[in-house]
Amino acid sequence: MENVATHEDWRSCFSELAPGLLLFARQWVRSHADAEDIVQEAFVKFWRRNHKIDNRGLLYATVRSIALDRIRRDSRRTRREAEAVSESEQVVEPQFELVDETQFALAAAVQRLPHEQREVLVMKIWNELTFAEIAYAMGISQYTAASRYRYALAALKRMFQPQ
Amino acid sequence: MNDFSEIENELKKLRPAQASRELFVRIEQVLVAPEISEHKIIRPNRFRVNWVAIGFGLAAAALFIVLAQISTDRTPKQGDSIAQISSAPETRPVLTGPEGSISSSEFVPAGATQVVYNTRDEGLQFPGGSEQPLRRLRYQTHQTWQWRNPVTGASLRVSYPSEEIVLIPISGQ
Repeated sequence: MENVATHEDWRSCFSELAPGLLLFARQWVRSHADAEDIVQEAFVKFWRRNHKIDNRGLLYATVRSIALDRIRRDSRRTRREAEAVSESEQVVEPQFELVDETQFALAAAVQRLPHEQREVLVMKIWNELTFAEIAYAMGISQYTAASRYRYALAALKRMFQPQ
Repeated sequence: MNDFSEIENELKKLRPAQASRELFVRIEQVLVAPEISEHKIIRPNRFRVNWVAIGFGLAAAALFIVLAQISTDRTPKQGDSIAQISSAPETRPVLTGPEGSISSSEFVPAGATQVVYNTRDEGLQFPGGSEQPLRRLRYQTHQTWQWRNPVTGASLRVSYPSEEIVLIPISGQ
């Protein structure tokens, strides 16, 4: 990946990252518009500080930090987003572009995962972060990140492919 | 191959929702606009203490008090010697000003001037997360205070540089 500092066209950089970043931000907010606000703030902050785009752990940590700050700032929002996090069935807008019933069922199964597992899953599957980067973004150890990922997959396997 | 490869492949087939065009437009607008970071914001300093001006002011006041004290110390000696050589019980002051009631040691304000020798426009600020921009103007002035003793005709003048920062709200139509 290129260095942001020497990258003239932020668009190509952002186009590549945006879907994954938005999905990650959606783990804290219920609407796509709110997720876009968070991603905008995080990306602009990251870009302006000339961080290397290779440092994806920092970019996702920025998104996470801004999302959590947003929740803390607004008590009403805190209540609403806490509900969104704990009662993931109530998500209003879909997070994926679903094409069939199978995908719908799988996306619903992802939503039923515990938040900390879903967070790791989103970073790993749809953002292709390493466990080291995930650990940095979440402030946890790599072992914990890997462990949460395995728990998430195991839970999905149980939910989606019942034996 | 691990036990989860099948479910991983299924998950990877899910495509996250795309970013809207508006998001790209918004980011472009923000990136094009000049950055106003937190450390660059100059907070409103309407009530900020200008320590340099206060320092000069205090120094001037101290100098004035010292000079006035010196003058006061000298005056009674003069009066005493006059009283001693005078045979009359009259204790009327020898030195009287035009007003009569002003003693020889008293200085009265005679004038004050403030010369603005430089004005600098320091641009627009957004203090304290305010939505309304403020124009910050810095005035560099030279202040002079003057006192005069109407009895003796002595005068005292204190000059010092001063700076004043003014924030003017900008309202757009």
